[in-house]
Amino acid sequence: MFLAWSEIKRNKLRFLLITSILLLVSFLVFFLSGLANGLASMNREAVDKWDADAVLLTEESDKSLYQSAFNKEEADALGADETAIVGQMGSIANNGDVKKNVIMFGIDPEEFVMPKVTDGAAEFSVENGVIASDALKDDGFKIGDKLELSSSDTELEIVGFTDKARFNASPVLYMDLEDLQQLKFGDAAEINADIVSAVVIKDKSWNSLEVPADMEIIEMETFIENLPGYTEQNLTLTYMIYFLFVISAAIVAIFLYVLTVQKISMFGLMKAQGISSSYLAKSVVAQTFMLALIGVVVGFGLTLLAGSFLPSAVPVQFDLPTMIIYGLILIAVAILGAVISVWTIIRIDPLEAIGG
Amino acid sequence: MVLELRNAKKTFGEGNTLVEAMKETNFKVERGELVAVIGPSGSGKSTFLTIAGGLQSPSEGQVIINGNELSKLNEKQRSKIRLQEIGFILQASNLVPFLSVDEQLELLNKVKKNNMPKEERQQLYEDLGIAKLHKKYPSDLSGGERQRVAIAKALYSNPAIILADEPTASLDSDRAFEVMELLRDETKSKQTATIVVTHDTRLIKYFDKVYQMTDGVLELQ
Repeated sequence: MFLAWSEIKRNKLRFLLITSILLLVSFLVFFLSGLANGLASMNREAVDKWDADAVLLTEESDKSLYQSAFNKEEADALGADETAIVGQMGSIANNGDVKKNVIMFGIDPEEFVMPKVTDGAAEFSVENGVIASDALKDDGFKIGDKLELSSSDTELEIVGFTDKARFNASPVLYMDLEDLQQLKFGDAAEINADIVSAVVIKDKSWNSLEVPADMEIIEMETFIENLPGYTEQNLTLTYMIYFLFVISAAIVAIFLYVLTVQKISMFGLMKAQGISSSYLAKSVVAQTFMLALIGVVVGFGLTLLAGSFLPSAVPVQFDLPTMIIYGLILIAVAILGAVISVWTIIRIDPLEAIGG
Repeated sequence: MVLELRNAKKTFGEGNTLVEAMKETNFKVERGELVAVIGPSGSGKSTFLTIAGGLQSPSEGQVIINGNELSKLNEKQRSKIRLQEIGFILQASNLVPFLSVDEQLELLNKVKKNNMPKEERQQLYEDLGIAKLHKKYPSDLSGGERQRVAIAKALYSNPAIILADEPTASLDSDRAFEVMELLRDETKSKQTATIVVTHDTRLIKYFDKVYQMTDGVLELQ
């Protein structure tokens, strides 16, 4: 550590350069992880908030909520610990100023998917009243707003807001299932009164539930992974992050190798004097650790700072445990990059250094 | 006997291309002795020095440093012997460019087992006339000052043997004499066995014994 730190102090510029590259790479990694997390949240936060274990869909819907429709009595036959029915319909909501793509979830207010409000009424206090995702607040929607829909003459009214209520990149409007059926089926609402899109199941042993004919019970995670575009988008960002790990290992390896080659005669002299290879190797590893640590910590801070200045339209959402793990991986791959240098040091023949 | 070479010989290659860099050599040096090995370049001086310093093994024969027979040790153990028993002063400045004078010795303090107490280190600085330079870096020092710091490094924690390879090569006469006087004083006061390899015949008056190396043959003058 002594040797490593003394060299950094004496050669600030060159170590500042490598640290700044590590800083930029770590910034990019942290930012991408925030983006991946934010984009994932846009798709799944409403589902996550239900804190459910599985979901019942029709088999022919191929795990898509949009394509699933069945009689809600299937839920009672399941015998699960707790269930909640969900009907859905997508539309464009217009409050007179702003138009916004939304998804409406028709639910039973007595069941567990009923959201806790952060603002406004805790129930569907008026006919066609909705509890809206607070993401809509940023777009200018307010309590009391009358919403015109693209697909119906019926007007909805925002009675409350709830947090974490986006599904597949659309803000959710929670409403009474009965109101939704009226909206969705119009005159045919009566006949279709019992038709829902999904039954959400809270039961740790959902796996052993008896699955009705032509139906399918899937785990929540599987359900989310099958949302349109979700897995593709996640994989793309994850691969970018993994690639950045490889890049930072390569950058550190090249830089340290060049520095080590420059110092071969010095290392040789030190070895001639009896300073062991392992001491010199430890010093290089310690140096890498210090540079990577500084780069990653500053990158971490800058990412959080930059995140706080971003407009809310940028779907960046930082997840600290993930960031800490990625930070540790960055430090680990940087140290991996020092391996070539360590190997070079071990191979230096002290005899050559003193020209014997 | 601190350092002894018994029938040591170094050859390179084989058959027709066999080169005898150092012919069969017997050599002894005791504590408090200042010994020169002189000879033209290519005479085998450096081979002799690297074998005596445990940097390479003789092809035949033995090297014994402070009772340790080197050929019985592996590179790691020889490295330890070099660290603990030998102080090297090399032609090229053997200072680490990014360490101050103090830090040069601090590094030895970290890797060596028998450390030098602070007062003794201060005394060493004063003996060598570098007490005022302790915060400076090698690039701020003159050639003579650098060589004196190199001597301080070699003498750090009182090794049994000092091996110096052309320690005055980059110095003018006055500085060279100064460095030799220092080496002689330290050899006597610290009771080290000091071997200086040089081609500089001006220095002969400082030595207790002078060996001549010619075509791989070492002879006492």
